[in-house]
Amino acid sequence: MILFVVPAFIIVVAVQFYPLAYSAFLSVTDWVLTESQTPKGFVGLENFAKELSDETFRRSVRNSVYITGGALALQMTLGICLAYLTMGSSWRMRAIRTLLILPMVIAPVAAGTLWRILLNSRAGLVNHVLSVIGIKGPEWLAHPDWAIVSVILLDTWQWTPFVLLVVGAAIASIPDDLLEVAAIDGASRWQTFLYVELPLLMPLLLLTLVFRMLESLLSLDSIYSLTFGGPGYSTYTLTYYIYTLGLRSFNFGAAAASSWIFMVFASLSIGLVFWYQRRDW
Amino acid sequence: MKKAILFLLILTLLLPAGALAQDMPHAGAEVVTNFMQSGTYDVGAEQLEAGFEEATGIELEIVASPFVVLVQNNITDLATGTGEFDVISGDFWIGSVWGQMHPLDDFIERDMWGGSFIEGLTKQGPSAYFDGKRIGIPYSADAYGLIYRTDIFEEAGISADWETWDDFIAVLGELEMHLEGTDIAPNVFAFGASEQAAAIFLGMYDSYLVDADGNYALDHDEAIASLNQLKSLLDYNPEGATGLSIDEANSVFLTGKAATMICWVSFVRAAAQDPDASLVVDNWATATFPGPGFPFLSAWNLFISGYSENPEAAWEWIKYYITEDEAKRRFVELGVGSPFLSTYEDPELIEQYSHDFPAMVANLNRAETVPWIFAAFEVFFRHMSEFIIGAATAEETLEATLTDWAELEVPEGLVQSAMAQGQMQEG
Repeated sequence: MILFVVPAFIIVVAVQFYPLAYSAFLSVTDWVLTESQTPKGFVGLENFAKELSDETFRRSVRNSVYITGGALALQMTLGICLAYLTMGSSWRMRAIRTLLILPMVIAPVAAGTLWRILLNSRAGLVNHVLSVIGIKGPEWLAHPDWAIVSVILLDTWQWTPFVLLVVGAAIASIPDDLLEVAAIDGASRWQTFLYVELPLLMPLLLLTLVFRMLESLLSLDSIYSLTFGGPGYSTYTLTYYIYTLGLRSFNFGAAAASSWIFMVFASLSIGLVFWYQRRDW
Repeated sequence: MKKAILFLLILTLLLPAGALAQDMPHAGAEVVTNFMQSGTYDVGAEQLEAGFEEATGIELEIVASPFVVLVQNNITDLATGTGEFDVISGDFWIGSVWGQMHPLDDFIERDMWGGSFIEGLTKQGPSAYFDGKRIGIPYSADAYGLIYRTDIFEEAGISADWETWDDFIAVLGELEMHLEGTDIAPNVFAFGASEQAAAIFLGMYDSYLVDADGNYALDHDEAIASLNQLKSLLDYNPEGATGLSIDEANSVFLTGKAATMICWVSFVRAAAQDPDASLVVDNWATATFPGPGFPFLSAWNLFISGYSENPEAAWEWIKYYITEDEAKRRFVELGVGSPFLSTYEDPELIEQYSHDFPAMVANLNRAETVPWIFAAFEVFFRHMSEFIIGAATAEETLEATLTDWAELEVPEGLVQSAMAQGQMQEG
């Protein structure tokens, strides 16, 4: 029996664990590809120490937290609201849901370019609309804070439909009799949502949160095309930082160390969500 | 008798084959060449592919990739010794792997190959050299430039004959007074494309880029003065200039809303003369790029990979692609800046580009490349961008740049290039 499992086991180890192990090896070596064809030598935890004390790295972590935190809060809230607003199986609701999920199927790099045009402070549609209602639009992509807001807006626009889809499906699966019992007991719509539906939705919401958190943390192409990580380092995220270290500077040792720090950071965040999920809702 | 006939028959068959082998000594060889996917250099190569294959019998494969991917491919290919590409398209951005390139001196000498290259472009820097040997030949040339509205200058009685940035900024002051009450800005620059501002800095900065020990460095006082002077240009730019991309800045000029623009002239030349895209047709000219620094040069070179199995066939392709006629054709049809003087001395073209050529050639002759690898450039332009948007002072910007640069090593090829171009600290 064990013999049957061995080939699959070897493939899993080769495909999944070898790259991880190699990356762990790289993270403790000094290797800049443009300086040497092979790793220069073992440096212990030096790469980790350097990265953790690097101001650009720390700023990238902060930016990642702001962007992912802001985007998740908006996406979860809007996604749940939209799921409730578009409940039903009439052709109108189906059409609206179809329209709403369109941003999700646009390639992130194209979405970034599209929003770059929309947020153009001189000729963009967003500032034009704001000016029509008497508001002077900000320098979306040239101001450090507004650039972060722009990235959050893009991520929210593109991925709220994902939350809408998942939550919509979850709402549809809530048994009607539970809602009827709540109604008979005199619960208001809000109370029904808060005490009946939300606890039932919570495991799926947390799972959605995990998916979106990972996606948002790993996001690179949309930021690349929207802000190019700028102005300055304003929207330089951890993924962008690792990409630059690895594929623009070819500093494989530092990039691998940063990737491991990122993995720990992401794992802790996910672990926190799963720990929260264990609560009895 | 039969044997004699058979012998004659074989001889008849072999003679043309022998002649063919003499005409096409590399027939059957395969050459993989790469270019940036820009719709210009790569298209120029595709247009020659069939003719080259027919003339040489060499099978040519053209690989076109976006800029960043091209640089990544070239560096990884050469650093790992993969040898995927025979002919490599690049410039100083791949300076870290210049040591892996095939020297071209023997080919050039043997074939007495050359042309009327613009003098400045044949020197080390614009042309790639390693350990005193030529390894790259430029096939395009574009210098950072400055264009201005001839009608506005004429109206204001201002001449565009500045030599330094101080002179130019004084002219911007005069323009500001002349344009008061209009919606035309004295100047426009794509400050939002943060990587572009380095070109202005290099035009203002007049000192070393690499110190005497071969490390990335900047002269403190010169750098601070240049940073502050660079930022002072914002006073003459339209509102929101810190967010302008290249296309947006070009659009400001093309719609007549700026009297001068600092830019890659090649990006705007064709549009500026197109009545459908421009309101300034025949009312603009290229000016000398101010000093005391230099105009930043983009000069793509063709290299032969040291790992190429067919360097001779690769050289055939370089000779076929880089010719005066082809450079002129690519300039006219695709807008690619020519490295040959003959293009700029062509009577037909002189008539068409009289507003553009004299200053362009002068700028190209003064233009220099930089000894920066991607990582060094990234650090510099990002910190400078923080300075431009007001998130850091000039001192902080310089300090942060130098701190980050201390982690980087200047590749040997780029140290040599810096030395040849006078960008290295003396001592």
